[in-house]
Amino acid sequence: MKKLICVLIPFIITACASRINGGGGLYESSTHHFAVDIPAGWVQLNTDKYLMLSKEDPFLQYVLIQARPIDKPFKHTRKKLKPRMLPQEAAEIILDEISSDRNVVNFALVENIPVSLDGYDAFKVIFTYSTENSLNLKTIYYGLLSQERFYNIRYTAVEKYYFKRDIEAFEAILNSFKLHDAPAG
Amino acid sequence: MIFLMTQRAIGKPVLFLLPYGRMQFIVGVLALCLLAVGCSSAPRSAVNPNLTLQEDQDQLLRLAEEEQKILDESGLLYRDQALEEYLNEIVRRLQAAEISAKTPIQVIVVEDPYLNAFALPNGVIYVHTGILARMDNEAQLAILLAHEMTHCTRRHALRVYQRLKNKPAFLAAVRDTLNQWGKLGALASLLGSTGLTPGFTQDLENEADRVGLELASAAGYDSCEALKLFAHLKEELETENLKEPFLFGTHPKLAKRLKYYQAFCENHFQEDADKITNTEVFLAKIHPLILDNAWLDLKRGRFRSAQRGAERYLAIQADDGRAYYLLGEVFRQRGKDNDLQKAKIYYQQAISRDPAYAEPYRAMGLIYYKEGQKRLARPFFESCLSLAPNISDKAYIEGYLRKCTPHEGG
Repeated sequence: MKKLICVLIPFIITACASRINGGGGLYESSTHHFAVDIPAGWVQLNTDKYLMLSKEDPFLQYVLIQARPIDKPFKHTRKKLKPRMLPQEAAEIILDEISSDRNVVNFALVENIPVSLDGYDAFKVIFTYSTENSLNLKTIYYGLLSQERFYNIRYTAVEKYYFKRDIEAFEAILNSFKLHDAPAG
Repeated sequence: MIFLMTQRAIGKPVLFLLPYGRMQFIVGVLALCLLAVGCSSAPRSAVNPNLTLQEDQDQLLRLAEEEQKILDESGLLYRDQALEEYLNEIVRRLQAAEISAKTPIQVIVVEDPYLNAFALPNGVIYVHTGILARMDNEAQLAILLAHEMTHCTRRHALRVYQRLKNKPAFLAAVRDTLNQWGKLGALASLLGSTGLTPGFTQDLENEADRVGLELASAAGYDSCEALKLFAHLKEELETENLKEPFLFGTHPKLAKRLKYYQAFCENHFQEDADKITNTEVFLAKIHPLILDNAWLDLKRGRFRSAQRGAERYLAIQADDGRAYYLLGEVFRQRGKDNDLQKAKIYYQQAISRDPAYAEPYRAMGLIYYKEGQKRLARPFFESCLSLAPNISDKAYIEGYLRKCTPHEGG
């Protein structure tokens, strides 16, 4: 009974603060000025800080889209993003932030390349890491700087089976991403 | 238990990339709602409040071994066999043979730029690269190791464990820290700094300070070096603008410990007049770590610490292009006032000392490129790719080169 209460109370509190929806379709964020298509069957959790999507369980796979204020400090590095940074410089900071996190075990960078995202200069990094239970995870992380915000779209999944299985859905989400904000130029 | 405690965790799965706190909570609930299946790992050793002394000891050792296993497999350890042998040789020098047989001590280095060290109840001492890189000599190292060894040999963890194990809050804390996610030094911090018995842990810290100093002094080390070691810790707190860290609250205050060390030093000053510091040997063993740790500082955006590390390294190993490159990176990445000009000077120094070193060329190219001087950027990017055709950010550099056509800019 105690366990049930422990689960239900936070759920009720959480449900009050954010929205969990089960349907797919177009998602538009007026506050963060972006839009994406959500595949049918993916559950979405949207708050004022991010949009999170998962097909079945975020512990197996999730897509997270975030519009982060550019001056918001990071947790593990004191480096800061600046509006005129090159995508490579932004990628460097993101990688420092991630690899300095003690929750990230056996971090390995697979790829770090410049890309175009919705027509704007951006970066793409791919990396792997593992958990203490030797579960191997893989992440694809896209980042794009605008004047005021740092947009990032990331896909993380258990490397074995789930990553490959759901990557097409992620690519569909990524390709539908539209920014309604002026990029950093 | 912890020499200077700051708390960080390892091993938390999957959700590290998400915003912290509430997000993890939400996701946990979401996962439950979606699947109605828990994702928790198998519980590790549970705490049984009815165990006897020997059973407690065994239990504690099992917990320590589990934590050690997590750390060993974390990829966070600094691997330098010669350095580890050196550290363990100092331990042997500090430890009487009869104690050594009962409590074998092993020292392991953790890649972490923060000034810290901690001991597990099974005799494994973890020392951060940050504190090693900041020390001046072997005497300071010996004092630190003797302090941590005392926690092990005096069974401080067992004493705390015995005292706390029946307290519900402690049991809950053990379950939280050990049954769910691994934490770096979780067991050490839990037992040494739980805050459930203010004063008790402080007594143990005092004992570790006192016995540690006696051990170091008996082994021939200059125990007055403890004052300098504490000065480094104090400086770290000040420059990092750290308040007494949460877990530090149960430690004797730094100033109080400093006073204790001063008194000890005054009493032993005559005896210690000709004692060992082994500065040269220490620096010879430690200097590669100083540079490696400076890179860790830079990664964390600790620019001042990174600069200090690089400069200290150059004082030992002058003419190493890598350290000049690191200094250049410190200034380029900080990007204040005249930093880019300083960065260029350091990159040029790196290139002049090691013309085959590709990274400083790339960095010079980046600065000119951002300044709009693409004509100047181009040869640096070209040199970089020529020296390191498979450099990790090759795709970026090729992109810059495409934009550095001869008629553009500069």
